[in-house]
Amino acid sequence: MENMITVTELTSAYGRKRILQGVSFAAQRGECVGIVGANGCGKSTLLSILAGTLKPRSGQVSYYGKTAWSDAGSGRMHGNREVIRRMTGYVPQENPLIPELSVYDNLRLWYPDKKTLQNELEQGFLSLLGLGEFSAKRVSRLSGGMKKRVSIGIAMAGMPPVLLMDEPSAALDLICKEDIRRYLQVYLERRGTVVITTHEESELELCSALYVMKEGRLHQIDRSLRGDALTGRM
Amino acid sequence: MVNKLQNKLQYLSMEIKKTVKLLPPMLLQIILLLSLTAMAVFGGIRSMGRESLAVRVEIAVAVQEDMTAMTEMALQYVENIESVSQYCHFRQTTEQEGFALLEKGEVSALVLLPPGLLEGIMNGVNPVVEIYFPKNAGLEALLFREMTESGEGLLRVAQAQIYAAGDTARAFGLTEQLSQMEAGIDSYNLAFALDRLALYHNEKVSAFGSVNVLQFYLASGSILFLLLAGMAMYPVVRREPPVFCRQLERAGTGKIWQGFCQWICGMLCVGLFAGILWLSVRMFVRFGPQEAADYLVTGGGYPGSVRMELAAAIIMTVTSLIYLVHSLAGSRTGGILLVFVFSVVMVYLSGGLVPAMFLPQAVRTVGAWLPTTWLMRAVSGLLAGRGVMEMEACMAVLCCYTIVCGTAACLVRGGGGGRGTGH
Repeated sequence: MENMITVTELTSAYGRKRILQGVSFAAQRGECVGIVGANGCGKSTLLSILAGTLKPRSGQVSYYGKTAWSDAGSGRMHGNREVIRRMTGYVPQENPLIPELSVYDNLRLWYPDKKTLQNELEQGFLSLLGLGEFSAKRVSRLSGGMKKRVSIGIAMAGMPPVLLMDEPSAALDLICKEDIRRYLQVYLERRGTVVITTHEESELELCSALYVMKEGRLHQIDRSLRGDALTGRM
Repeated sequence: MVNKLQNKLQYLSMEIKKTVKLLPPMLLQIILLLSLTAMAVFGGIRSMGRESLAVRVEIAVAVQEDMTAMTEMALQYVENIESVSQYCHFRQTTEQEGFALLEKGEVSALVLLPPGLLEGIMNGVNPVVEIYFPKNAGLEALLFREMTESGEGLLRVAQAQIYAAGDTARAFGLTEQLSQMEAGIDSYNLAFALDRLALYHNEKVSAFGSVNVLQFYLASGSILFLLLAGMAMYPVVRREPPVFCRQLERAGTGKIWQGFCQWICGMLCVGLFAGILWLSVRMFVRFGPQEAADYLVTGGGYPGSVRMELAAAIIMTVTSLIYLVHSLAGSRTGGILLVFVFSVVMVYLSGGLVPAMFLPQAVRTVGAWLPTTWLMRAVSGLLAGRGVMEMEACMAVLCCYTIVCGTAACLVRGGGGGRGTGH
């Protein structure tokens, strides 16, 4: 069966500082890949590359067999942004929202089709996130948890098969964390693929594969050791 | 392709929507700012509009006897001659006091009137009037000396004419007609030769150039107001968080389009503020004192299209300047402070607060290159009416400033919104 994500020997650097050194992993449909590691180890950099907002130095990324990033032996990286855009939804750590506008207006920016947005709010994924209830509210008046839900809703525009989430539960209360976890569960049940960086044990429970990032390299670990991975004992 | 275009247009419409939602609080700030600027402009006009002379000559006059009614009358006559009264102020002193004042430099000249001056003139004795100047005579003393000498020359010619007429009349036995001839000579002299103002070339010299004080301060005040309005525009032209820009880029809305959309919204705001300003001026012209209104708009008469183009060029340049300053600042507090300092300093260097001729040469040289100088020139051109060619040149320069500032802002934003801030 074709992998949904295939990452091969990915490297990245800021100036002379190497961030990723030969990162490789793969994930299939309906699979959740969890990445843990200390702050500053390169988790967000990896997700930024997968989301197409950062250019890697070398390596290859493909989604369902379609090349997203490749150096193709020439030494120069080429990205296919169209593939990345269609195949992935990206939830960054900070929320990409316009605080002066309502939730509905923010969503409209990413859902150009009004009808689709309305359907999603009424009976689609956005209703699962509970966005229909406060779509008229101004974003600046929302709590952190609500904002994060809107960010997830934005990432889901166009129903991408891969969801990239960068610490989605950071600084949220328990109820919000639980809501997000439940939402991820539904997404996985619908054969979506998730790559998530997190420090939350509850989210790691959803992961079918777990990696620890250390010194720019990914090391796969047994799921039973996730507690150790989170406390940095690995 | 269609999808990307749709995304771009969607972003533009959202930016416009955001701007519309931000307008009410911005308008409140703008009305407050307009009131403050209007007060400053009014103050400027009051302080500069008196048209006082740069040179005022203080003259001490000492009479070497008890002043007779005739001497006093003669002195008043001289004081009231227009050319003299404009520049000179006479102070009556004693001879001793006069010399003391001259020594202290408090007067530019001392005039000693001899006893029986008028009687002497009438009977042809012509007593000598002595005028003393200080050793190192200043500009005022030189001016008075010039006026005295020209007056003396005129008087000498007039007397020569009278004597010549008398001698001629006596030689030809026409003494009966002498008084009639003298009256004729007097009337011609008074009408032409003794009108000393006719000797001077009448030229109006103003620190404000070809505009009047009201137009000058309205032009500089308008530009200062529009630039300072940039403080309220921060939410419209602010740098969006990198994470938001990157998400937009993912969706096919690049940085250049993002910048362009914000610039368009900024332009809408500046256009609205300029409209409020224009309405205020129109109200003043319509309902204000007629004299002031006539004084305010002395020219114009351009075709409507030229006026619209000029207004558009002004609005675009101001928008680009505000956009650039906020791009450089990067934060709300920094942006507001930088816009304030930038606006006041630029308008000052362009000679908008104090006329350029009172500024040092180096400042004037710098000021000539600043966009605010051209902006003020464009506004004053609209009020005072300059040549269409000059206004078109002004428009071209403003368009160049718009492009340069807009491009610089995009470069600053492109460089500052670096990728990959996470780890």
